[in-house]
Amino acid sequence: MSYQEYLAARETITTIGQPVITFILIISLLLGAVSLYHMFTRDKRAYTLSAQLRKTSTVLLVIGFIIIAWFHLRIYQTIELVYPPELANYMAADMGVSATSLRFAVPLWIENEKLYFWTLCISIFLVVTNFQYNFLRSEVASLFSSAMNIMLAAFGLLTYYTSNPFNEPLPGLHSEIAGWYAATVATDPNVLYGTLYQLYFRIIYYYNSEYMWTHPPMLFIAYASLVITFVGCVFMLFRREKIFDRISYNHAKFGYLLLTVGMLIGYPWAVVAWEGKDWWWDPKVNGSIMMWVLYSAYLHSRIYLKRRNMWQVTAILGIICFISLVFTYLLTYIAPGIHAISQ
Amino acid sequence: MTPTLKMKPNTYDFYLIVLTSAVLAIIGLVCLYGIGYYTYTTETIPQWTQYPMYGDYIDSMNQYIYPFVVLLLVALGLCIPKRIVPRQSLLASGISILAVTILIALVTDIGTSLAFLLAVSIVVQAVVMVLTMLGRGGLTYEREGYFVQTGSSMLHLGTVIFVLDFVSFRTSELHLSVFWVATILITVGTMLSFYPGEVGRIVRLLRSGGGNS
Repeated sequence: MSYQEYLAARETITTIGQPVITFILIISLLLGAVSLYHMFTRDKRAYTLSAQLRKTSTVLLVIGFIIIAWFHLRIYQTIELVYPPELANYMAADMGVSATSLRFAVPLWIENEKLYFWTLCISIFLVVTNFQYNFLRSEVASLFSSAMNIMLAAFGLLTYYTSNPFNEPLPGLHSEIAGWYAATVATDPNVLYGTLYQLYFRIIYYYNSEYMWTHPPMLFIAYASLVITFVGCVFMLFRREKIFDRISYNHAKFGYLLLTVGMLIGYPWAVVAWEGKDWWWDPKVNGSIMMWVLYSAYLHSRIYLKRRNMWQVTAILGIICFISLVFTYLLTYIAPGIHAISQ
Repeated sequence: MTPTLKMKPNTYDFYLIVLTSAVLAIIGLVCLYGIGYYTYTTETIPQWTQYPMYGDYIDSMNQYIYPFVVLLLVALGLCIPKRIVPRQSLLASGISILAVTILIALVTDIGTSLAFLLAVSIVVQAVVMVLTMLGRGGLTYEREGYFVQTGSSMLHLGTVIFVLDFVSFRTSELHLSVFWVATILITVGTMLSFYPGEVGRIVRLLRSGGGNS
């Protein structure tokens, strides 16, 4: 196993993955158009077609995810960082760490894979929701289903244009692996030592961290669930149908549970990985707390849904919550701080 | 007796929810301010977090949040099932505790007053959780209501312990241990509150399976 094999795997994921995500784009465009057509015309044939497109989209997303998983497995198999004894001894004496050899066990939701994972989760939630509820029971329910399809289509388009994981697979990780490889062929051994030293902490506290395997996926699954809550709340604004609230609330409960646990799990990770760094009250932390307290408020207000005006208040709160969710997600890209993508 | 104390239980619960939601929303606004301040300051002074002004920012954020955390803790203290503690006693004790907290803050400092409030809250919530789990107040084991109330009391106790951990244990070796206790209580409490029917079914299944063996 070697660096060349890693490069070959990286090329393969692009070769196989690009057609898959292109199909996802086409299906998303069709899904959005057909669902929109159904919303305007109430044509049942369009609804049936959109259901087929949604299923196709889910299958393609799962295939893409399997390709991503294969690539991550290949990274693990092909790249091994071997620590020379003198460096290992120094690190053991200076840092108290045991570094002999390391591999990258990278989770499937980092860098440009995040949005893909989020979209995949939405599609799975839609499969489950369509299995649980018969949306053809009433016209308004089928409209709701079409609106959820449009959301999935929008996420499919966003993934393709802003965060395509097959276009340039894991650019950040790739530059670190390429940097390590360049150091292995450098004439000065100190270059390799310095690189290996830095990568040790990146791998242990970031890439291979058990928190990386639990904190982000919990949040992305929560986000996906809360997308459906948002669609339900938008419909609640216009019509007082029990099914809108039921679907919104069921997804809010699940999303909130994962959001809470996911956020809490992030704390000990920050304490260990960012010891001595200035992360407290940074924009992402603020945004996450804001999002969580708003969802708490939504769930509280929902208890009194039957009281006068509370239906609208709950719906508006649900929409505000989702705006805060999107804002919090984007903070990684638009705001400074230790969570910022530029860090 | 004030008119507040004569409120119907339904009205009491409703206003408590309104108060809780309002406090949560205000905390959200404080966080929004923090995002704006941090971003703007980074734009104007790029390395500001390396200077003492970052410490000042942390202190000011804590100061803005503390009063609303106090209100939230008081609201949590008032949100106890009426079958366990009568509403009137609850309101009277809640107001008294808040008054003592404010008094301590005026005489000493915010940290001490918050520590007092947290200590009282933990005792109250722990007692409520134990009473609820024992089935006090007509709450029957294996019924949905039992799990909702037990989950709610665990969630409340976990939240109070969580706040205490941040206020009093941040530099202590116990910090992460206390954190995990709070996390487990919050997680289990949320699950019981949200999915009482499912939990009830699992418990019934386990009990019937145990009886057959």
